[in-house]
Amino acid sequence: MNAIAIIIAAEDPTQSHHWLFPEIGEIIYGGLASIVIFSALFKFGWPAAKKALETRTAKIQKELDDSAAARRDAEADAVNIRKALGDIAGERARMLAEADTQAAAILAEGRARIEAEVTDLESRATAEIAAARSRIGDELRAEIARLSAQATTDAVRATLDDRTQQELVDGFISKVGASR
Amino acid sequence: MSAQQVSAYVNAMFEVAMANDAVAVVEDELFRLARAYETNEGLRSSLSDATLPTERRQRIVEQLLGGKAHNVTVQLASMLVGTGHVALLPQVADQLVKRASSEKQLEVAEVRSAVALNDTQKTRIAEALSKATGKKLNLKLVVDPNVIGGIVATVGDEVIDDSVRTRLDQVKSRF
Repeated sequence: MNAIAIIIAAEDPTQSHHWLFPEIGEIIYGGLASIVIFSALFKFGWPAAKKALETRTAKIQKELDDSAAARRDAEADAVNIRKALGDIAGERARMLAEADTQAAAILAEGRARIEAEVTDLESRATAEIAAARSRIGDELRAEIARLSAQATTDAVRATLDDRTQQELVDGFISKVGASR
Repeated sequence: MSAQQVSAYVNAMFEVAMANDAVAVVEDELFRLARAYETNEGLRSSLSDATLPTERRQRIVEQLLGGKAHNVTVQLASMLVGTGHVALLPQVADQLVKRASSEKQLEVAEVRSAVALNDTQKTRIAEALSKATGKKLNLKLVVDPNVIGGIVATVGDEVIDDSVRTRLDQVKSRF
């Protein structure tokens, strides 16, 4: 109240209207101009602003949706990774077990093959020893027979003097002559 | 090819020997030369040695037979050496003996003995073989040390073997 009283008290009696308040006409033209401007703004600026706001809202919503989708994907990937990690451990264990099984099988097979080869080698060696023994025996007998025959031939040849040779010839002639 | 060559040589040699009226002598001398060629390694290698000039090998034949054999025999043997067919000598000589024998209606009787036979033995053995086979024979005697003792007689396809070598072989086969 004190301030209004001071303002009213400060009124200049030379002025037609109060220094603080405009004249009535100014208020009317100013009000009309303001109405026109606001109407134009409402008609032409509001749709563009509204559209921009809607676009912005849609963009933000989209970004929110994308973020949510990315989060879901990330969570799914995390689940898959955790699952894969579990699978890798299982696969590792399975592979190790399989490798152990295969190694044991290969070892057993190798042992069996070596034992079979050793047995085969032993039997072949035995057979070859027997064959060599037999062959050497045969060769020895043949050599003895050859030497005996040679010795016999030499001994017979030595005993065949000229008289014996003539007797053999005469014996042949007699036998052939008497054969018919 | 070899059989044809042998046949060709035999025909040619027979004609040459007959033209010289020396069939009996030539076939007998070639037969003995063939046996010497078969049994004498040195003679065989000398006459077959392609590194020796042909003239040198022919000269060996001429020196071996010269003065002891009929000229026709020497020439025919030298021809075989000269043509490079001395390896055919045994076959040619055997075929020639057969051809000459068949001309006289005789069968060839090859008699192998370890020692040389005397004339009496030759006559007796010819008579004995002739009597045993019933054929007239052209006797061919060969001294073959491999017989060792006794005699092996071959008349055509028939072999009469009474040699010490065969008896020893029979003993050997029982070992």
